[in-house]
Amino acid sequence: MVNGQDITLGLIFAIIGGCAAWMASSYNGAGGTYPMILGIVLALLGATIAARAAIATQNEERPLVTAKANLIIALIAGAAYVALVVPLGFYTASALLMLCIPIALGFRRPIFTVVSAAVFVMMVWLIFSVILEKPLPREIWLTLGSGGGA
Amino acid sequence: MDFFVTSLSGIMAIGPILAMVGSTLLGVLIGALPGLNPVMAIALLLPLTYSMDPLVALGMVAGIYNGSMYGGAIPAILLRIPGTPASIATTFDGFPMAERGEAAKALKIACWSSAIGGIVSAIALMTVGPLLARVTLLFGPAEYFWIAIFGMASVGVMVGTDAVKGILAAVIGLLIGTMGIDSLSGQARYTFDQTWLLGGLDLIVVLVGLYALPPVLQLAEKCDLKGLSAAQLRLLAVPFKPGEIRSMFGTWFRSSMIGVSVGILPGAGGNIAAFLSYNAAKNASDDPDSFGKGNPQGIAAAECGNNADNAASMIPALSLGIPGNVVAALVLSALTIHGLQPGPRLFHSNPELVGGFMFEMLLTSILIFLVGGAAATRVFAQIQRLPGVLLVPSILILMCVGVYVINGRPVDLWVMFAAGVAGYFLEKVNVPLAPIILGMILGPMAEQSVRRALLISRGDASELITRPISAVLALATLGMILWPIIKALRAKRAKA
Repeated sequence: MVNGQDITLGLIFAIIGGCAAWMASSYNGAGGTYPMILGIVLALLGATIAARAAIATQNEERPLVTAKANLIIALIAGAAYVALVVPLGFYTASALLMLCIPIALGFRRPIFTVVSAAVFVMMVWLIFSVILEKPLPREIWLTLGSGGGA
Repeated sequence: MDFFVTSLSGIMAIGPILAMVGSTLLGVLIGALPGLNPVMAIALLLPLTYSMDPLVALGMVAGIYNGSMYGGAIPAILLRIPGTPASIATTFDGFPMAERGEAAKALKIACWSSAIGGIVSAIALMTVGPLLARVTLLFGPAEYFWIAIFGMASVGVMVGTDAVKGILAAVIGLLIGTMGIDSLSGQARYTFDQTWLLGGLDLIVVLVGLYALPPVLQLAEKCDLKGLSAAQLRLLAVPFKPGEIRSMFGTWFRSSMIGVSVGILPGAGGNIAAFLSYNAAKNASDDPDSFGKGNPQGIAAAECGNNADNAASMIPALSLGIPGNVVAALVLSALTIHGLQPGPRLFHSNPELVGGFMFEMLLTSILIFLVGGAAATRVFAQIQRLPGVLLVPSILILMCVGVYVINGRPVDLWVMFAAGVAGYFLEKVNVPLAPIILGMILGPMAEQSVRRALLISRGDASELITRPISAVLALATLGMILWPIIKALRAKRAKA
């Protein structure tokens, strides 16, 4: 419901603004005044949104999520990818992500998935590692192969 | 004249030319994929441009922007799914034409109209921009402060449906912009004893998260497992009737003027320009009832209007530091990552760069004629055979590589992810994201300007409103903030 969401949103930012202003009060001189004013304004705007929603007479439906299961899958996969990209290596983690997300979301064409994962990871490798020479997290199998050295 | 000659010579090198051609093609492909949009594409691109020449980076931004605005017409015409929000009005007549078997003709009209709108818009940028920039020579710290505040207030109020939430978003951006070491006093602010926060949150890291992750999560929610079949993408060649092209000249002229005017207004976007142009064409037509049933004039108006907004939105961004829309804010971000300070001084301190970018906007509009032909459009349409579900991991990977290469810090990936999740939910509760980015860009300029103005006036705050230009800007800002309140009160009174 719109009003419930807006009350929560307003309260969250009222608290954040209040905390920001309180932290800024310990900073010296003009370097503290500016963020303190911003914190107070943020708190006031948050409180306005919450108060406006609390006194509103109409309350419409506004779904926050349209497909909860798919969203949770994407969030978990995204967080796992961010967590694994350094320990596993960029391309290993990326290949796993390319294979796992489509399957987890119900895509049942394994050959298509594998081929597209291989083609995409190859393209990324060509562009970022070969052409642009960007340093990316080292692959775990390269580290293990070289006896654990960096 | 020297300004234009120097600027043109700057982009007539292999790097900027390749960047413009490649990115225009890429832009059309991105626009053709429903779910992807130019904002997300440019956000993904920016981190990769750190080591590039600024004109190459800006050429890529120009190509993606102009290309994707045309590319959005492809699914709008073939499937009645707008590739970008600015293509919604294109569906009204584009899809009925496609149903009649005239998809190729509709795509051709969209291509020509997009190119013409883009060219007129770029010419407006090249003529109005330098004139407006001359005014900024009169600006001091107080005026810079008010320009930044006015920019944020106007975008906060005009983007989105709720002015309070828009201003809240701008203040969030301003607060994020204060994180890290204060450049004037050397004080660490909001760093929570974390050394990685001493430099503040990286603009591009937050920007990629805010603009790229929400569409990825939406694609995952939508879960398209099939893509289109080859039969759905078959295009038949239908010739134009005699005089049909000539009859569009009036529509192109009218829509270009509307698009340019909308582009200059901060906060208004290509979708508004497209709708206004469409309505104007309908009102001017002898046969308004044919609109919505496959009238080619409807496509011409919508596509010309939305592309005429593109370069014009850069006029306030490049001359005053106030972005007309989100893409203009991203262009300012691109300038920031190349060590340039967006704002009124930009035009005077880097004229070759600003002029070069103007020419890149013009040339990439002309390129649409070349890359958007019937044969190329047939190729671009094929991208829609790709199941949408495969785009989810692909974009996540591009986001991570883009963010990681900026500083080589894993913590930036978490910041990006957190910003993206926050962006997803903020959008759902109608908090616009553009003011957050704008607050991060203009916040440091606003803070430094106000503190300098107060130092010059020895703490006398009246200096901020007593100078004529700053007084006008202060009043304009106040008017901008009060306008939605007055509007709401009037509506309430009218209801009672």
